[in-house]
Amino acid sequence: MDSILPAFARILVAAAVCWLNFILIDLFFRLPAGGGVVGATAIGTHIERGGGAIHGGYMMGNIVSSPDASAGTLLASCGVYIAGIPGGLLATFLVFIGNRICHDRGYAGTTGAITATFIVWGFSQIGFSPAEFIAGMVIAILTIQGISHRHSSRLLAYLWKVREG
Amino acid sequence: MTPQEAALAVCAVIAVYAAIRVALEPDTLRKLPFLNVLSFAVAGSIALLIPHPLSIVAAAAYFVGSTLESNAIASTYAGGLDRRE
Repeated sequence: MDSILPAFARILVAAAVCWLNFILIDLFFRLPAGGGVVGATAIGTHIERGGGAIHGGYMMGNIVSSPDASAGTLLASCGVYIAGIPGGLLATFLVFIGNRICHDRGYAGTTGAITATFIVWGFSQIGFSPAEFIAGMVIAILTIQGISHRHSSRLLAYLWKVREG
Repeated sequence: MTPQEAALAVCAVIAVYAAIRVALEPDTLRKLPFLNVLSFAVAGSIALLIPHPLSIVAAAAYFVGSTLESNAIASTYAGGLDRRE
């Protein structure tokens, strides 16, 4: 039984790790390039209309419309929390099925779930609980989708510009 | 407080916050990212509350279902099925 502060401090570290995992993989799989389905494009244009940046809006629309690396990270953390690496791989398979259900031909979600499975398992070997990664991923998605669409879309668009060179 | 309890507390607080943001956002399409945060928090809570192998399936089924609904709502608002594929 740890005291409250270290538990919450570990959740913040887990949030940073989850954030990097899903942002880097989503950028690698070109989620900000455009909407994968027409609904994702529409969410992007509405976010732009609210003062945001279009490519960040596309990525946020794509995250809403199909399980991407952020969902992969969350479900893999749940899987590792319950059943270790086999649980994470089961979650990865379910994310793959979820992508196909949502008309997503990409592999961002599946890749994110595989990398998250091994990252979360690795951190569980050095004193972190996989439960802290579940909460960390919820905080990470909150920073992108849940606080200010204007600012998060601009940040994502900036990262997209850096990735494009 | 165990790590599980701390994680569940974080998920619960964020779920309530996201629900309030969904309710307050006037633009339907811009409600959906807040709803996405709510789905993350609820899916995480399912796994934290029920540590059983089948709850991985339950959390994934809930999350994918919620994502598909958001996808359908957004695509319908954007002009319907004929342009989806």
